[in-house]
Amino acid sequence: MSRVVGPRSGDAIFASVERVNAELFTLTYGAIVRQLLTDLEEVDEVNKQLDQMGYNIGIRLIDEFLAKSNVTRCVDFRETAEVIAKVGFKMFLGVTASVTNWDADGTCCSIVLEDNPLVDFVELPDTCQGLYYCNILSGVIRGALEMVSPL
Amino acid sequence: MIVCVAVVGHQNNPLYIQSFTEADDALKLHHVVHCSLDVVDERVNNPKKSGPMLNETYLGLLYPTENYKVYGYLTNTKVKFILVTTDLDVKDADVRNFFRRFHAAYVDAVSNPFHVPGKKITSRTFAERVSTIVKAFGLSSAG
Repeated sequence: MSRVVGPRSGDAIFASVERVNAELFTLTYGAIVRQLLTDLEEVDEVNKQLDQMGYNIGIRLIDEFLAKSNVTRCVDFRETAEVIAKVGFKMFLGVTASVTNWDADGTCCSIVLEDNPLVDFVELPDTCQGLYYCNILSGVIRGALEMVSPL
Repeated sequence: MIVCVAVVGHQNNPLYIQSFTEADDALKLHHVVHCSLDVVDERVNNPKKSGPMLNETYLGLLYPTENYKVYGYLTNTKVKFILVTTDLDVKDADVRNFFRRFHAAYVDAVSNPFHVPGKKITSRTFAERVSTIVKAFGLSSAG
């Protein structure tokens, strides 16, 4: 009889992967955003670029995610959001997110990160108030979901 | 009571000056801080050969003037922290502790990717943390 492997929890996977120093990660991401701001100058352009970068990461990351975590196909969007928040973020960033703010249709929600390692030490200056500093994360989610969507 | 704290860059450019008393003239405090920089330079260039004193970071009491005492602290990147206080009986350990926490707050402020090294520190979190540290210092030395 073949062994069926069930889905692994985010904690278990996070404990087994190789890690990098958190400060190095934070400072690297900060340097990327700073450089984008210097090159593109427009806050909207930077937001778009971060989203695009995240998209490129997401379409590749989804395979690793599915391979390591063994989650089954999600039934509906609610389950998808939960899996992203609990397993996905835990596995790659080491933090757990919570899903809130569901709208009436169940098509729209907010994923809230209490403790985001990307934004340690960061304070947005007044000149960049429209900047979505963590827009790369939304790009990653968009890319990953696009690869597994049934359409 | 702490009157003023200052962070001075390695080219003696001021990065952060905050005074905690409305009574005294801000300009006079700037002047006091500026004069203390000369003392710092002197200490740095002529290190006292007092045996295994490898802790060059904490410079101690720089010089007493009128009713102020000025303490200095030097980081490895030649950034100097200056503390001006009116307390008469300040314990050395308290000042060291103050500078250690101040250094931690400074490092966090400088890690901000939007901070330009060499420019003034504009972080509000840094200002708040400094105020907290100063208040804690005031309480610990009064008690």
